[in-house]
Amino acid sequence: MVRAFSRTLTLVQFYRPSRTAFSTASSSFAIKNVTKSNFDSSLADLRRHVRDSDFVAIDLEMTGVTSSPWRESFEFDRFDIRYLKVKDSAEKFAVVQFGVCPFRWDPTKQSFIAHPHNFYIFPRQEIGGDDSSYEFLCQTSSIDFLAKYQFDFNTCVKEGISYLSRAQEDDVRLQLHSAHEDEPSETPYAAKEFKDVPLVRMADILFVERMRNKISEWHDDLLQIRNGGSHRTQEDSNDSIDQFQTIFFKTRPAIKLNGFTSRQLRLIKSVVEKSFKDLAYIRVNVGLCFQQIIVYTNSRRELELLMNEVKESHFKEAEMKIEAAIGFRHVIDLLSSEQKLIVGHNCFLDVAHICRKFVGPLPSNLEEYVPLVQKNFPFIIDTKILLNASNILQLKMKKSSTSLAKAFAILCPHIASGVDSFGSAHNNSVAVEVQVDDMRSSNWNSGAKHEAGYDAFMTGCIFAQSCNHFGINFTSHSTLMKEDKLQNYINLLYLSWSSGDIVDLKTGQTRTESSSLNGFKNQQSKILFPNIVLIWGFPSKLKAREIKESLTKVFGLTSVTSIFHLDKTAVFVQFSKPGLVSDFLKLKSTIEKKKNDAIYVLHPFSDLLEGGCTGAACYEVYKEICGSPISKPLFADQAEAIAVNLNSKRLESMTHKTDSFSESESAIDTKTAETTSEILDLASC
Amino acid sequence: MPPFPMLRGRFLCTQSSTFFFNQSSGGRRRPQWPIKQVTKSNFSDSLDEIKNHISNSDFVAVSLQTTGSYSSPWHRVLPLDTPETAYLKAKYAAERFQILQFAVCPFNVRVSNKLTVNPFNFHLFQRDELKIGAPCYSFSCQPSYLAAMAREDFDFNVCIYDGISYLSRAQESEAKHQIGSSVSSAFVAQTSSSRSVADNVFVERIKSRVGHWISACKHSDTKTDDALVNSLRKLILGGDEYGSRPSLNIDVCSERQVQLVFEMVKSHYENVVPLTIAAKGGGTQSVRVVLTSSKEDRDLLEKDLKNMEEEQSKRIRGFREVIELISTSQKPVVAHNSLNDFTFIHSKFISPLPPTMDEFRNSLHSVFHDIRDINHLMKEVGPINKYTNLPSATSYLKRKFFAPVEIDIPQKASMEECKNHGHNVVRISELFARLCFILKLNPETVNQNPDGPLLKLDSNMFNLGSNGFQETDDISVWTHNPRKISINNLVFLWGFRSGISAGKLKNMLCKSHDVLSEDEVFDVRLVDKNCAVVVFWKNGLSEWFLDAIGSGSGDGLRELAAEGLMAAGYEAYKRVCKSEILGADLAASLAEIDRDHIEESAEVYWNSELMINFDDL
Repeated sequence: MVRAFSRTLTLVQFYRPSRTAFSTASSSFAIKNVTKSNFDSSLADLRRHVRDSDFVAIDLEMTGVTSSPWRESFEFDRFDIRYLKVKDSAEKFAVVQFGVCPFRWDPTKQSFIAHPHNFYIFPRQEIGGDDSSYEFLCQTSSIDFLAKYQFDFNTCVKEGISYLSRAQEDDVRLQLHSAHEDEPSETPYAAKEFKDVPLVRMADILFVERMRNKISEWHDDLLQIRNGGSHRTQEDSNDSIDQFQTIFFKTRPAIKLNGFTSRQLRLIKSVVEKSFKDLAYIRVNVGLCFQQIIVYTNSRRELELLMNEVKESHFKEAEMKIEAAIGFRHVIDLLSSEQKLIVGHNCFLDVAHICRKFVGPLPSNLEEYVPLVQKNFPFIIDTKILLNASNILQLKMKKSSTSLAKAFAILCPHIASGVDSFGSAHNNSVAVEVQVDDMRSSNWNSGAKHEAGYDAFMTGCIFAQSCNHFGINFTSHSTLMKEDKLQNYINLLYLSWSSGDIVDLKTGQTRTESSSLNGFKNQQSKILFPNIVLIWGFPSKLKAREIKESLTKVFGLTSVTSIFHLDKTAVFVQFSKPGLVSDFLKLKSTIEKKKNDAIYVLHPFSDLLEGGCTGAACYEVYKEICGSPISKPLFADQAEAIAVNLNSKRLESMTHKTDSFSESESAIDTKTAETTSEILDLASC
Repeated sequence: MPPFPMLRGRFLCTQSSTFFFNQSSGGRRRPQWPIKQVTKSNFSDSLDEIKNHISNSDFVAVSLQTTGSYSSPWHRVLPLDTPETAYLKAKYAAERFQILQFAVCPFNVRVSNKLTVNPFNFHLFQRDELKIGAPCYSFSCQPSYLAAMAREDFDFNVCIYDGISYLSRAQESEAKHQIGSSVSSAFVAQTSSSRSVADNVFVERIKSRVGHWISACKHSDTKTDDALVNSLRKLILGGDEYGSRPSLNIDVCSERQVQLVFEMVKSHYENVVPLTIAAKGGGTQSVRVVLTSSKEDRDLLEKDLKNMEEEQSKRIRGFREVIELISTSQKPVVAHNSLNDFTFIHSKFISPLPPTMDEFRNSLHSVFHDIRDINHLMKEVGPINKYTNLPSATSYLKRKFFAPVEIDIPQKASMEECKNHGHNVVRISELFARLCFILKLNPETVNQNPDGPLLKLDSNMFNLGSNGFQETDDISVWTHNPRKISINNLVFLWGFRSGISAGKLKNMLCKSHDVLSEDEVFDVRLVDKNCAVVVFWKNGLSEWFLDAIGSGSGDGLRELAAEGLMAAGYEAYKRVCKSEILGADLAASLAEIDRDHIEESAEVYWNSELMINFDDL
């Protein structure tokens, strides 16, 4: 909050000179920051805003993107591998800020009303389970990046809203129910099973005796009163008056036990259970801590009733705790249940994070993942797709970068500049009015780039402006997602923006962007995955050219189509024919077996195999390597770590598997399959 | 029973009470010691300060605040761990998590029990300051650790924005290669292995070339040739000038040759100084030999080079400078939980952790020759089980012993609560002083007397957790029965209903077979909720049990096995600890390892030879 406030102050100073007469001070108020303390009230408001909205823009800030350098997106990545890389990222990194910005069209004002919210979230464990599932990774460069944009880590850790995914909630519920069912300590008759505290110390024995007397005294008094006997004064027990406090628990007389150690309490419990049939020792929650009390009951039946009552209340409390622990997921549930159009910018990773953090573990392949997204968010639109695919927008953008800030500056100059000009409003610009709590402004600009709430706002503005360029009439249509002009873009996301790989969430189909505007993307079609061999661990002095040379010496000048470095320790080599992959692997292992022969020194591969740490494998192994939870910084180390774990059996089944991606890839050469034993030939290091 | 007077004397009112105990926001009492907080902005000033303090002190206490220590309950060092598996677990944590605070406290203990401390708390954040690729690509965080730090008002923004960066020794040498740091005279000569014929040829060739060059240089000194002759000579000899001194570049093909040149030059030519010239991509491109006019001149050159290198590396090292100061001071380092702390220190400031405990111990010893572990000293005093954290250990000593210690903090620092961190390092110093008093060790004489009683503790300082079943309180039954158990008698069990109690599991096993139904045959403890460890009190039974479960002999056991009960010996556990990913669930990891194990059974026999017996340790 402090940061947002100071940011506001600096902005006020900054914009003052450029202000004209009509501007008001309210135009640069702080964004709505939501933390633990104001979450409940903000959620209530947000529910209303989302329900009324036409679409909701979102944006996430994470603690990192790639867990190792080679997990970045490569040209040689197949669709399934791109998914594995995104999955790895969503599994390892944490979301620290979540921007939600509902946009509502106000027909009377002919303007959108936006409600930007900036949620700080932190995966704090509030309930049950073990801590391991909450551990997260930080990419140093990403943390530095966040710091560069003045991200407030203190607010995040101290005040961040925690959450439970649906899967975690189910687990916790299950734990709770099973704990609830076999809670033997609460039923005095099952208590025999529970281990008694052995009375080994003299002090214990004395203590137990004293307690027995105390309780029986109290018990007898109680009965006397009940039977109309004389009221004995209790002043003789003044020494323990604060420890033994008579209260009424659910209309029954009871003793509240104060100031005993847990060992003493256990001893008291065993005394009560052994010596007093009509007394029950129970534990009740009072606020945050437990309170131990001894309750008097008339009969066994009544005791059972009481026990059930207590059980019931424990259960209810636990339920409430779970409800509270769900935390930020309430926002996701809201977005999901309202079935609003979700707008993001290059948001495939964002959506994966949402699914991983708030729904449950991600499926192992894209085919199963797509329906999961569809089920929870049936309408998603990506402004990056919009900007690249639409000719109208391409013209507007004048081929400039489609990064969020750039697109915002070009498409929404009237908002980006922070200076409203009525001239541009006629000129095809959509008016966006921002409302934060009671403050409204038609030219709001917090200027906080890379703050999730503001980024979500920018994304929403870009979308609104794009719709305007498409000629969509906001007033006449009640639902944007049914709009014909958007059908070509809805539910399409970039699997990887750099390579132009797009996934259609409706059908699960993947394709590569056919845009002629990006010439470099045409190369993609030439990649034939069965022709690729992966080589790692070769001497570091070898560069792509040398590797190509030694390969062409053996297989012919045209045998190698291309070579691509994953990192300094590994390369992809694309051969002209798939058969060459197995030929290469076979030859490599033959040479390695005859390591000591003189001929080995003279072979063209000797440079490549020098050091004895060179490994090679077909493309399917690359998939296995990317799917592993291990993330070594260098690819060669990673490959070694995986390859050691891999056994030939699994590999064989892998190679036989037919691929569903495209015909050209599905038929892995039978020759390759025959040589599976050599696919994973590793030299011992 | 400790042989010390159990004086229940009241702790003397010492000066420590003048440091107020404030009610912190968490409701806990926290001592207010002035601890100097160091960030990027005041690092260079503090460096000089701490340098003086370290050289004037007898001991240096260290304590770390990390982003986490174990990912799953079984990743902690358990009583059933051998030193080797304990090391592997500590290594696993040290490689994943990151240090955010490093507290250093040079201190002196005087006979009068006056403890003089100079605590510093460094805020660290390793980032890519030289723009040569991040030294630390990513690190893990445990939210519970961060949340606990947040409760103590730790300022994450200060740490990330202003934390001091650093490079480990290994990263430094790599960075120097990358940024093409031109010269380096400090070539670490490895123990020379036997020379091959090719090596000898190379050495002879270089020797004669250097010899010719030297005589040519000396020759040219006497006669003044014309420019043409000079430049021709330069061309032929390949000579050059280094500053005002003549030099010669010798191309080399490998690090081995670099070593050979260095050895040759040092043994044959007194006034020649060899330098390595790094290639851009890493590795050594060539060796430059510089001719000096006399012994004095050589010393001068060497000193210059050294200064230059130091200036440069200071910039690169960052916080590691403090580690180097401690290392070169050769002062004993006092830590609490040394295995965890020093695996972190080794991996972040020295080099990646080696695969075995022995290599680690050797490597660490070369940097810190004397490490004292508070936990270990505590064991000398009494049962340590319950006093695993510092405040409870201190209060235990206060209760049981008469050991007044007066804390004196000469330095001034901000007492502002939210900015005052790193108290543990003072607690460690205090505890150490008390322990010295109780154990009747004279800290002042320790340094003069290398065979003093303290040193002998070092030899087994990392053997924590190796002493059978008496370490942690969750294995409380076995604390009554602290027997040494060979790891051969341990069997890991999984595949039972999650959340079952150890007692029920024991009952189940008792009923399953006659052998197991006898008294005092075995005991069961849970490791986590899905995995248990069974200890057999008689040798040989574990093999029988594993066999029985595997083959399904014996009706009861077969039934259990059919229900999914699985078992594996200690070997499988060791393999799990060695693997790349320990896994959150021990049962799942054991199952995975066990499956692979069957497929490559050849290794079983090979490994069984290497079994460690607890008794042997």
